[in-house]
Amino acid sequence: MAKVQVLNVAVLDNPSPFRNPFQFEITFECMEDLPEDLEWKIIYVGSAESEEYDQILDSVLVGPVPAGRHMFVFQADAPNTGLIPESDAVGVTVVLITCTYRSQEFIRIGYYVNNEYTDPELRENPPIKPDYTQLQRNILASNPRVTRFHINWEGSAERMEDSENVDPSSNSMLPPSCLPGKAPPIGILPDNSMDCL
Amino acid sequence: MKLLKPSWVSHHGKPIFSVDIHPDGTKFATGGQGEDSGKVMIWNMAPVLREEDEKNEDVHKMLCQMDNHLACVNCVRWSNNGLYLASGGDDKLVMVWKRAAFIGPSTVFGSSSKLANVEQWRCVTILRNHTGDVMDVAWSPHDVWLASCSVDNTIVIWNARKFPEMVTCLRGHTGLVKGLTWDPVGKYVASQADDHSLKVWRTVDWQMEANITKPFNECGGTTHVLRLSWSPDGQYLVSAHAMNNSGPTAQIVERDGWKTNMDFVGHRKAVTVVKFNPKIFKKKQKNGSSNKPSCPYCCCAVGSKDRSLSVWLTSLKRPLVVIHDLFDKSIMDISWTLTGLGMLVCSMDGTVAYLDFSLDELGDPLSEEEKNSIHQNIYGKSMAITNTEAQLSTTIIENPEMLKYQQQRQTSTQTNSAPGTVGPESSAPKLNSVMNGESLEDIRKNLLKKQVETRTADGRRRITPLCIAQLDTGDFSPALFNSVPILPSGSSMSNQLTPHLSSDSSPGQPSSLGFRPSHDPMLTSPPANSLKALEDNNEGVKSTLLLTSASKIEPIKALDSRFTERSKATPGLTAAITSTKECKLKEDTSSDSEDKMASINKNLMYSKRKPELMIDGGEVVEKRKKGRPRKEKMTTSMVQSFTQVHTVSVPPSAVAALRLPTPSTQKAFSLQVSMEPSVFLEVENEVTVVAGSKLSQLRCSKDGRDWNTLLPSSTLESVDLIAVASEDRMLSVFSSCGRRLLPAIQLATPVSALHCTAHFVMVVTAGATLSVWSVLIQRKRYTLSVFINTSVSQSLLTQQGVPVVGLSNGKSFCFSSSLETWSLIADKADSLVQCADFRGCLSSHDAPVSSGPLAVMQGRYLNAGRLASRLSSTPHHMQQSMTLAFLENQLASALTLQSGQEYRYWLLIYSRFLVNEGSEHRLRELCKELLGPVHTSATTSWEPTTVGFRKRELLREVLPVIGENLRFQRLFTEYQDQLELLRNK
Repeated sequence: MAKVQVLNVAVLDNPSPFRNPFQFEITFECMEDLPEDLEWKIIYVGSAESEEYDQILDSVLVGPVPAGRHMFVFQADAPNTGLIPESDAVGVTVVLITCTYRSQEFIRIGYYVNNEYTDPELRENPPIKPDYTQLQRNILASNPRVTRFHINWEGSAERMEDSENVDPSSNSMLPPSCLPGKAPPIGILPDNSMDCL
Repeated sequence: MKLLKPSWVSHHGKPIFSVDIHPDGTKFATGGQGEDSGKVMIWNMAPVLREEDEKNEDVHKMLCQMDNHLACVNCVRWSNNGLYLASGGDDKLVMVWKRAAFIGPSTVFGSSSKLANVEQWRCVTILRNHTGDVMDVAWSPHDVWLASCSVDNTIVIWNARKFPEMVTCLRGHTGLVKGLTWDPVGKYVASQADDHSLKVWRTVDWQMEANITKPFNECGGTTHVLRLSWSPDGQYLVSAHAMNNSGPTAQIVERDGWKTNMDFVGHRKAVTVVKFNPKIFKKKQKNGSSNKPSCPYCCCAVGSKDRSLSVWLTSLKRPLVVIHDLFDKSIMDISWTLTGLGMLVCSMDGTVAYLDFSLDELGDPLSEEEKNSIHQNIYGKSMAITNTEAQLSTTIIENPEMLKYQQQRQTSTQTNSAPGTVGPESSAPKLNSVMNGESLEDIRKNLLKKQVETRTADGRRRITPLCIAQLDTGDFSPALFNSVPILPSGSSMSNQLTPHLSSDSSPGQPSSLGFRPSHDPMLTSPPANSLKALEDNNEGVKSTLLLTSASKIEPIKALDSRFTERSKATPGLTAAITSTKECKLKEDTSSDSEDKMASINKNLMYSKRKPELMIDGGEVVEKRKKGRPRKEKMTTSMVQSFTQVHTVSVPPSAVAALRLPTPSTQKAFSLQVSMEPSVFLEVENEVTVVAGSKLSQLRCSKDGRDWNTLLPSSTLESVDLIAVASEDRMLSVFSSCGRRLLPAIQLATPVSALHCTAHFVMVVTAGATLSVWSVLIQRKRYTLSVFINTSVSQSLLTQQGVPVVGLSNGKSFCFSSSLETWSLIADKADSLVQCADFRGCLSSHDAPVSSGPLAVMQGRYLNAGRLASRLSSTPHHMQQSMTLAFLENQLASALTLQSGQEYRYWLLIYSRFLVNEGSEHRLRELCKELLGPVHTSATTSWEPTTVGFRKRELLREVLPVIGENLRFQRLFTEYQDQLELLRNK
């Protein structure tokens, strides 16, 4: 069973200028004392086209984690704009928060991110080379996509026979709500967890 | 019969393997396959029962879902008390769930609100032992044990009171164990397995009682589950899949000899589940039919792989109803409501059906009492059904007396718990906030700045998360003690304490006044007033109140300061006595004069302090109160008693180690001893000078009769027996009529304190000698020289004439006449008192004895000790032995003090504690001591009485306490019988 349940993720400083760091306030609950740290990552999907544009903005160890309810703020710098294809700079993309325990990912939280110019002028006529200083990042905080994976929480003595974490099936709790049509297919997500797109 | 298939109860089309209705009938749980895990869901029963609730959007249908099981959940079962839910699954685990009532999320993060968990059920324990899929779980009657069975061929019995403790593992099956059922009386647990056997295990020694194989020889291991069931009357055990002449049956196994002569026939495929209705029924009496009492019968539902369900009454040869094609796949589980009229059935096809029966169809369910009488007829006195709280449900009560006490106890606990009944919510685990008064918002504002971030050796960021709440499920409680206190603010510790303390020291509680009056606002405030009153009186006529002091009245300030500084001296005693008397007064009389008495009492005390005279006002008042109603008796007894009094004791003057303060004399004073009948005691020193010698006058007026005595000297002490100590170390004792009872006693050193109780007179002299004279028995003399380096801060004479002294080091001693030594009875610094926790053993019936000498000497320290125990985190066994030691000390002290009521009080607490803690050896020894030898011989040294009680009477009181714990029923019976025997003699 999952020893760690994510209770809430609050997106702080949102919307914000593109170059501001990401801030997520994560609240989670742990059933029992964890002997090892949790590892959290923020992944910025640079382009819907390919995973190779994914950027791990930062990874952080969280620990020690005794039984109980905890919270922390995960702050990570804005993505390296040099690694983002120019054509994908403006528009909808995805930021992912993942957590792993003993190198096994057990939860993946995805948010849609909309990057657009605040200036109507720019919005009408976007420059060919994106002007990141003018871009505003808006995370659709109200619509997190959560995928949970079963992992082996115990020591490495018994490996999970079924590699559920490699091929997770969809989360039953995903709401069948519709999303902006512009949304790109996101390769990194398990297909079925975003199948409502 | 009504039939309903609530389509909304589903696991998204996945199989539902188990269903169980909560004992309170308001919800039910299902277990089965989830999307990618096992799934347990909790549903609201109301929409199943009522159509309007089903249509009402505001009535939640699903209350909670738990995806924690990694693989398919095969069984869900509510505990009998409804607090817990146990689930077992293919992940080899048994999980125990408990309702959590905390601020938690109303929604699962990332899910839409529609699927919110209305109730939060938290896994409190994971039971790991099985090495294969767990197929069935079952709570024993009264939730003493939880049994689980598995395809690893074993059955594990868990201690349901101490999860995850394992009681035993039952081995013997050679195939997958697929079903479990407890005997309703709790003597057996039965299991059915794929090894073609049904085994019955005894709960006494966890050995196999019976191994039934014959009906199962032809069976193949084709069913997913084999859920067998025991009838509510305990007479029949009905198996799942059995074969008879190559036809599938449900085998009926009789408890009597485990005979297998009958079966339920008719299903075309293997029987997967059998479930008895929890009720026993009797035929509905129809109008006009004969009143012939019909035989009670049971009702049983059988579900099969053939997708059909049959319901049988044991009184009928054919099934009551058979329902075909209710499901598309095999029936997996059945659950009855506790009322016996509703039933939920679940199937592998992922649906659930509800059946609603009427009384006409099933018959009249027997009440619990009727069910009991059936149990009693069959098994003798069984508590298993009657007593929902029974600690050892498995035990059959062998003794009717025992049963009586058990039932009494039960009813009393029921009535006690009734008003403040706590629902499962309040007792559910809570998350304790550890935020130290800060609101969550405050924390969130500064979280980024405040959170601790470090770098690991390899340069990675590491954040220490802020703990905002701790789990309080029992398992985590130690953490609470070690970490930040879970109190709303830093100062709350004292806040929490004070209400207890203040309630303990409320004016109505005499015991709280027992010690250290100088620190007690209760006592320090009145003197000023009373002194003012005194001064007023001083000028006027000698009023009813107190003394007029001719000598210097010390300033109030000085007096006050003395009260605060000189805590060691007599005020402690007087305060103690006063409080004692207050209490006694309250017991004796109900008139409001008692309050006046008390106040007078106090005034007396303070006024007396002022002139530094030892007037035992409290005693006087008490005597008066007692004396009035039975004056005659008193007087006569007085007269008789005085004859035996011996004369002077000459204390060893060599004892110089201890010097006690002596009161100084004053010219004249009077005191009113009581209002009604008004009694005054007046002393006037140096009344007349006759031939150069001074005379003092002692005048006592009572009921208008006055008597006067002339004394040659001038210190005074008064009581009912009126004792007067004079400056020239002479002690005189008078009766209440003023008759001189003793010749003047010559004391070696001046008197320091003087007490009279009943027919005892105690004198503490400045030379550290303590003497007690009795009017009935011989004079006793004790020396105080034992207590070096301390001084006597308090002295007291009990009704039995046992002298008690409180020393300045906080210890109190009494003189044990039998041991001829001083024995310790109270010690303020005693850590045992601090840690003893016997609150659970305090009976509501016995009012705490607060007036006895023991209580007076121990005073509020007892209460403080109770508080301390609440705050300390002493390990249980330590606390247990400390409490035991403390209680035994109390008993011994009460015995030495010859304080009968207190002895009885502590004896009952002690025995209750022993019963609770299960100390059979001590209990037996105690009983043995109280019972004494049954056959008396010349050599027996056993005393039939102790401190005024007949020991066997005490035993008679102790026995019901023992009777409350079934474990001691042998002990109970043993002594009960012997007592009866002796009584008949």
